[in-house]
Amino acid sequence: MKRSLSRMLIVALALALVVPVLFMGQAPAADDVKIALVAPLSGRWARQGQLKKMGADMAIEEINGQGGIKALGGARIVLREADAGDSVEKAVSAAQRVLTREKISAGIGSWLSSFTLGVTEVAERLQVPWLSLSYADSITERGFKYTFQTSPVSSLQAEQALDLVTDLAKKNNRPIKKAGIVGDNTAASMFFYKPLREKLLAAKGIELVVDDVWTPPLADATAIVQKLRSTQPDIVFYGATNFPDSIQVLQKIKEFSVKSPIQGVGAWLVTPEYVKTVGKDTLDNIQTVVAAHPMKGQEELVKKFKQRTGEPFMTQDPLCTYAHVWLIKEAIEQAKSADPKAIRDALAKIDILSGPAVSAFYPPRVRFDERGRRIGATPLIVQWQDGEPYTVVPIAVATRPIAWHR
Amino acid sequence: MVFAELVQYVVTGLLVGGVYALMSIGLGLIFGVMRVVNFAQGDFMMLGMYVTYFYAVAGSIDPLVGALLAVPPFFVLGWIVHRLLLARVTGGDPGRQHDAQLILTLGLSLVITNATTMILTPTPRGIRTSYATQAFAVGPVLLNQARSYAFVMALVLAGLVYLFLTRTDLGRALRAAADDPEAASYQAIDVRTMHGLAFGVGIALVAAAGGLLATYYPIEPNVAGNFIVLMFVAVVLGGLGSIPGAFVGGILIGLVQSLTLLVLPFQLQNTGVFVAFLLVLYLRPQGLFGRRARTV
Repeated sequence: MKRSLSRMLIVALALALVVPVLFMGQAPAADDVKIALVAPLSGRWARQGQLKKMGADMAIEEINGQGGIKALGGARIVLREADAGDSVEKAVSAAQRVLTREKISAGIGSWLSSFTLGVTEVAERLQVPWLSLSYADSITERGFKYTFQTSPVSSLQAEQALDLVTDLAKKNNRPIKKAGIVGDNTAASMFFYKPLREKLLAAKGIELVVDDVWTPPLADATAIVQKLRSTQPDIVFYGATNFPDSIQVLQKIKEFSVKSPIQGVGAWLVTPEYVKTVGKDTLDNIQTVVAAHPMKGQEELVKKFKQRTGEPFMTQDPLCTYAHVWLIKEAIEQAKSADPKAIRDALAKIDILSGPAVSAFYPPRVRFDERGRRIGATPLIVQWQDGEPYTVVPIAVATRPIAWHR
Repeated sequence: MVFAELVQYVVTGLLVGGVYALMSIGLGLIFGVMRVVNFAQGDFMMLGMYVTYFYAVAGSIDPLVGALLAVPPFFVLGWIVHRLLLARVTGGDPGRQHDAQLILTLGLSLVITNATTMILTPTPRGIRTSYATQAFAVGPVLLNQARSYAFVMALVLAGLVYLFLTRTDLGRALRAAADDPEAASYQAIDVRTMHGLAFGVGIALVAAAGGLLATYYPIEPNVAGNFIVLMFVAVVLGGLGSIPGAFVGGILIGLVQSLTLLVLPFQLQNTGVFVAFLLVLYLRPQGLFGRRARTV
C-alpha cells in the first residue's frame, strides 16, 4: 500500500514536470501565423537541418522584430519544426504530423530531394504551399499546384557546370577529354549525373572513364580513388552528400595524389566541418555548383548570421531558408490572409525584385512558372580558397575570382 | 597489373575488416556470456570516438593512444550500466527476460544517440591526423597508414582478450559462467560479477574500436547506424557467442565488401556481404565457429 502510494506520488511529480513542458512554446496567440519546417534534425543529414533552422530563426526574428505581418495587423510568425530524420518514410510522417496537428499556413523543406519528393506529396494533398531548395527535376514535374522550387533543377545545373568547366579548362590549355562521375545515389545527385551520362558529355566529345555510384554509407573509398588514379579524368563530377563518405573519398584522393579537378554538386561540399576534418590544402580549388551562396553585396547579412550563430561562414542552406521565410511573409502580405490556399495563389503570382525575400537567389528576382519553378533560376559556382568557400561564378556577383586546377 | 589490383582489393578488405573485427568481438563477448543482444553497442562505439576526439583536442593525445586510453573509463561505464540497468533484466528466466533486454538496449541506444545530438550538436567532427592521408607503399600496393595502425592495434587487442579468456583464472571463470551459469555458481563463481565484467570488457573493446575508427572516420552522433548491422552480421556469421568467430566474421565482412566490387557495381557493395551471410547460414546454421552449445 505504502509502495503504491509512493509510486503514485512519483507519477504525479513526473506529470507535473512534463505537462507544462509539453505545452511550453505551443500556445501562440490566436492570430500568429504558423510555418512548418520539415528538415532532417537527426540522422546523417542532421547538420543540414540545423543550418536550415538557423536561417529560418534569423528571418523570423527579423520579421517579428520589424512588427510582424502588416497586412494581418502585425501578426507574428511562429516556426513549427518537424524532424525528417534519415529516411523518406520518417520525413513523410513528420510532414503528416506537423501539417495535421494544427493549421499551418505554409511549409519549407526538406533539404534532400528524396525527402522533398515525399514531403511535397503530403503538402499537395493537404493543400499547404511548400517552398523547397531541393534540386531534383522531378519535384516540379508532377503537376503539383502547391510546390515551389526556388533552386535551378539538377539537369540545368549539370549543363551549366559542364559548360563552365569546359570553358575554363580550354582557357587554361587543359581541354577536357575524360570525365568521371563519383557519388551516391540520392535523388539530386542522380538527376545531375543522368544528363551528363546520356547526352551532355558525348555532345562535347568527352569520354566517361569512371562512373561509380554507391548507396550511403560507403565502406571504403580505395577502389573508387584507385580508378581515378589509373584513368586520370580531366574533371570529376562529385556527389557524395553523406559527410563521412565524402571525407573518405577526399582523404583517399590526397593519399593517392589524384590531381583531377573536382566539380561537386550541392552545398553539402562547402560546410565548415570540411576544413576541420581534411584541412584547407586538400580543399583548395575544389568547386561545387549550388543554388545559393552569399554574393557580392551581402556582407552585412553574412556578418549578422555569423554573429548570431558562431558559424565561420554562411552557406546555401541557411541562406535559402532565410529567404523562404521572407518569401512566405511577402506572399501573406499580398494575399492579406494566412489561409494556405490564398498564400499559394499569391506565390503563384508573385514577382519580387528586391528585399530579403530575393536575397538568396540569382538572378535576384522571384517569380514562378506554372510548374512552380523559379523562372530564370541560375546556379552559382562556389570554390574553396584558403579554407573558405567563395562565390566565383557568375562574375557579376563573385566574391573572388575563380582559380583553375591545383 | 591485374594481380596487383587484386592484391590491393584483398589488402583493403583486410584493413577495413580489422576494425569491424574489434567492434564485433565486444558484441560477441556480451552475447556469449550474458545472452544479451546489445543494440546500444554501436552507440558506445560512437561515445568512444567522441572521447578519443576530446582527448585529441583537449590533451593533444594521438587518437591511436586515445583509443587505448578510452578502455578504462568505458570498462567502468559498462560495469555501471550493467549494475544499474542490465542486471535487472538478466540472470532470471531467459524466456521472460529476453523482451525486456531488447527493449532496454534499444531504448539505451535511442537515449544515447539523441542525448549526444542534443548536447554535442549534429555537427560532424574529425581528428586530423597526418597518417589518415598517407600510405605505406609495398610495390604497387598502397596500405593506408591510419587503417594499417588501426588493424595492428585491433589484432593486438583481440589477442589480449583471447589470452585473458584462455590463460587467466578470471577468464576461465568468465567462460564457465557463459557455458553453464548454474554449475559455475556451484564452483563459487559469482555469475552476476562475471556478467558485469563481460559487459565492461565488451563496451571497452567497442569504445577502443571507435577510437581507432576516429583516426580516419568523421565523428557524429548517428555514426553507429553505419556499422551496427555489420557488427551483428559479423557476430552471427562467426557463430553467436564465439569470440574467434566474431573476429573472423568481422575480417570476412571487410574482405567480402572489398572483393564484391570486382564483380558487382558499388551500389551493390553490401549485397555481397548479405549473400555470403545467407550462404553461411544455409550451409552452417550455427555460424562458422559456432557449436550447438554456444561457448566463448
